[in-house]
Amino acid sequence: MKKKLAMTFAAVALGIVAGASGLGLALRAQSPLADSNRPMAHGATVEYLFPEQITLTSGKPSAVTLHFRVAEGYHINSHTPKDESQIPTSFAVPESSGVRLESASYPNGVDYALPLDPGTKLSVYTGEFTVQTRLVAERGNHLVEASLHYQACDKSVCYPPKTIKVPIDVIGN
Amino acid sequence: VKRNTIVLGITLLLLAVFAWAGWANWEYRKQAAAKQAAMAAAKAELVPAGSAPDASLNSSPLLGKQAPEFSLADLSGKKVSLSSYKGKTVMINFWATWCGPCKIETPWLVELRNEYASKGFEILGISAEADDLADDDKAGLAKQKAAVAAFAKQEHMEYPVLINGDSISTAYGGLDAMPTSFFVDRTGKVVAVQLGITSKADMAAKIDKALAE
Repeated sequence: MKKKLAMTFAAVALGIVAGASGLGLALRAQSPLADSNRPMAHGATVEYLFPEQITLTSGKPSAVTLHFRVAEGYHINSHTPKDESQIPTSFAVPESSGVRLESASYPNGVDYALPLDPGTKLSVYTGEFTVQTRLVAERGNHLVEASLHYQACDKSVCYPPKTIKVPIDVIGN
Repeated sequence: VKRNTIVLGITLLLLAVFAWAGWANWEYRKQAAAKQAAMAAAKAELVPAGSAPDASLNSSPLLGKQAPEFSLADLSGKKVSLSSYKGKTVMINFWATWCGPCKIETPWLVELRNEYASKGFEILGISAEADDLADDDKAGLAKQKAAVAAFAKQEHMEYPVLINGDSISTAYGGLDAMPTSFFVDRTGKVVAVQLGITSKADMAAKIDKALAE
């Protein structure tokens, strides 16, 4: 009887050990250290956020919203800059990738003026923005390397035009 | 019964130890995170929002060295080389048609050139469009040249405007920021650099420095 009781306690103790380590792992996952901002690769002022994977009905144009983020302190020209010398932001899907870009619709830019030239309004994107696309997928699984072309500036410096990869796993059913 | 009490006691003790360890661990991580956040905030203060995130805007590996020689075509097609300006103080100003701040500083450049002309000073405005055109892309290059010429006319660039600065971008440190200016003294040495737009007074001070060398 005593032996049985001792064994029960041992089992309870083991359970507590397992529970505590489980709790520890859970805490670790929620630790404020774990969700520190992902550093941005040098030179990339725009980051593609999501979706990473989409499932579409093959052969049928489908609406897909793509999410991007411009790093803090920077702006990029909108798709329709006010001055023709400025390079518009544009999204592209390569030919014969199994997915065709039927159309892309861009948000309106916000008005922005450089501190040294407050009278000249630019049309720009800052922070998060989306591109609304209509994609037509062929049947099958396609690893599409789409791209976003943009030209970024901050308040005193402009950076050469850049094209970033927009990788999307498209499944056509 | 006595043995049961001992086992129960040990179990409770173990439970207490685990609870304490868990709490202590959590506290420690919280403190570490707060410390990291404070450090990140301190770092962020050093780099004001909106300025280039890396390096100083006045530094370049070329500082104190001879400005790399180049020979580029002007808008009329005539080749212009840096060495032909030896004995003069030269401001090499890299710009691009898509660069807003370049547009803002151009009137300052025109004024500075007039103010300093009598002291043996010249500006070379070199367009570097970074459009990855191939050397044999005649149509693309012609279009680029037309855009540069239109910009130069619109902005009244009264100093030599040279094209295809991209061909010398590596020698001049990559030209990752526009505008970029190199202030070169009479002997051909780079004495000051400016990445991005500052002010006309700041540019004048750098020209004075180049003239004084």
